[in-house]
Amino acid sequence: MRALLLAASATLALAGCASKGGDTSQQIGGDPKLPDIQQYLVPPMHVVPPAPWGSAKPKVPAGMKVQAFATGLAKPRTVYTLPNGDVLVVETDGPSEPIHRPKDVAMNLIQAHAHGGGKAGMDIILLRDANGDGVPELKTKFITGLNSPFGVALVGGDLYVANTDAILRFPYQTGQTSITAAGTKLVDLPGGPIDHHWTKSLVASPDGTKLYVGVGSNSNITENGMDAERGRAAIWEVDRASGAYRLYGTGLRNPNGLQFEPLTNVLWTVVNERDELGPDLVPDYLTSVRDGGFYGWPYSYWGQHVDPRVKPQRPDLVAKAIKPDYGLSSHVAPLGMVFAANAAALPPQWRSGAFIGEHGSWDRGHLNGYKVIYVPFAEGRPSGKAVDVVTGFVEGEKAHGRPVGLGLDKTGALLIADDLGNTVWRVSGG
Amino acid sequence: MPDPVPLRTRSYGLPLHPIVLGLPFVCFFVGMITDIAYFRTYDIAWKNFSDWLIAGGMVLGALGAIVGIVDLLRPAVRANRLLTPYAIAYAVAMVLALLNNFIHSRDAYGAMPAGLILSVLTVLILTGASALGAILLRQSLFGGVR
Repeated sequence: MRALLLAASATLALAGCASKGGDTSQQIGGDPKLPDIQQYLVPPMHVVPPAPWGSAKPKVPAGMKVQAFATGLAKPRTVYTLPNGDVLVVETDGPSEPIHRPKDVAMNLIQAHAHGGGKAGMDIILLRDANGDGVPELKTKFITGLNSPFGVALVGGDLYVANTDAILRFPYQTGQTSITAAGTKLVDLPGGPIDHHWTKSLVASPDGTKLYVGVGSNSNITENGMDAERGRAAIWEVDRASGAYRLYGTGLRNPNGLQFEPLTNVLWTVVNERDELGPDLVPDYLTSVRDGGFYGWPYSYWGQHVDPRVKPQRPDLVAKAIKPDYGLSSHVAPLGMVFAANAAALPPQWRSGAFIGEHGSWDRGHLNGYKVIYVPFAEGRPSGKAVDVVTGFVEGEKAHGRPVGLGLDKTGALLIADDLGNTVWRVSGG
Repeated sequence: MPDPVPLRTRSYGLPLHPIVLGLPFVCFFVGMITDIAYFRTYDIAWKNFSDWLIAGGMVLGALGAIVGIVDLLRPAVRANRLLTPYAIAYAVAMVLALLNNFIHSRDAYGAMPAGLILSVLTVLILTGASALGAILLRQSLFGGVR
């Protein structure tokens, strides 16, 4: 019996160390290298415990500087700049997921470890830095009592907030520092009781008539059943006047950072791909979203690579699955994006592409992500290798911070919501 | 050696483990049935049943192993040579069940077919162990052939 147990534990240990992951640079760009599928007894995991920033700061390249724009927040995950320069910060957290299987118990413990303690707000905070020195003079609670909010979009005098289960509309007047009016529901969104991917990213179309909202899948790979996936793994197009919606793009496992590319007015998103097929599968990606396009989830990834964990399969859908535009490498967890065209406060070489906030991996041996990268664009398309812009979120075996949402302030500096360090970072030239 | 008694019997201590064997066995057995159901229908509800049943079987099996160790420590029980194959069969089944728990932690059909195969093997081995356990009980209660 002892010999058998030893053999079993040796197998487990083996499964644990053959899974650090290879060269991530081979998965950056339009044609990422895709290894064979690996399934494990215990999937590779590497969770770094949190440690406060203290006097440390993220690192930026020469010609830039980084400073804390706001600290002491309660899990800030979205930053959004209003036309008058006021910065909204969404403090939020996901709803707790019901336990469906023994695995959920273990996963809850692991995720709690990675996300750190502390209770999140369910509020939107307003920060006002009237003189533009990077130090806000005013901090107020702008909207309170929301339900796992994430996306924010202002169109004229209508401020839209995407709660995890509905888009709400609030009346907004320039200069307001708090909104007490009750929100009006525009449309229900898929929420609980499972609500696995709960962040509803939001952006308005350039003409202001439509809202686009990212609705992530309700599972890693359909383990909660296909009924739970109705309307999910999709980007919804919501008519701003009527609240009517349709699925604009589908097969997008967890789309976040919805933004319109400023040259072409095409909708782009970053997508978190599936887990537990190995440390280098499946690459997360950046892609333009075609009207009516299907991007593979759950049946296939990166075009026609079939995922054997999904039954029944749908060869008809796999055949029409669109390959994403640009791989970001596996498990980086991109959650925020902003196009750099208006990043006037940054050196000129950083003003034509997209910044992407990578929350960081937990399911590969070698950490990946935990940084803000820059993907250069030319003529509205990615035009080269991604480069690291803001790093230093992990030091040794401790994580100080994890980037989520990105934005630009009115001076054109880059803002980064750090939900582990409870800080908003501001990156400018200098 | 002359002996008037044609058949000699001897008595053994009462093994406790065969009495509790049914607890994990039922879990693994029903888990096998729900695995078959998931394998054939792809309905995730069956897999959730299997996950819980195989995890529950593992917990009860581990508690049962404590009883088994007590049996192994009692010379009067150990005197029956059938105890060794019985204990080995049980240990092998538990190792397979442990592997099966990890396999079942995979999402959706990623647990198949390995999970079903392990479930069937676990049940087959425990069926054999049950038969041995019945003999162990019978011989301890009514005497065994020497």
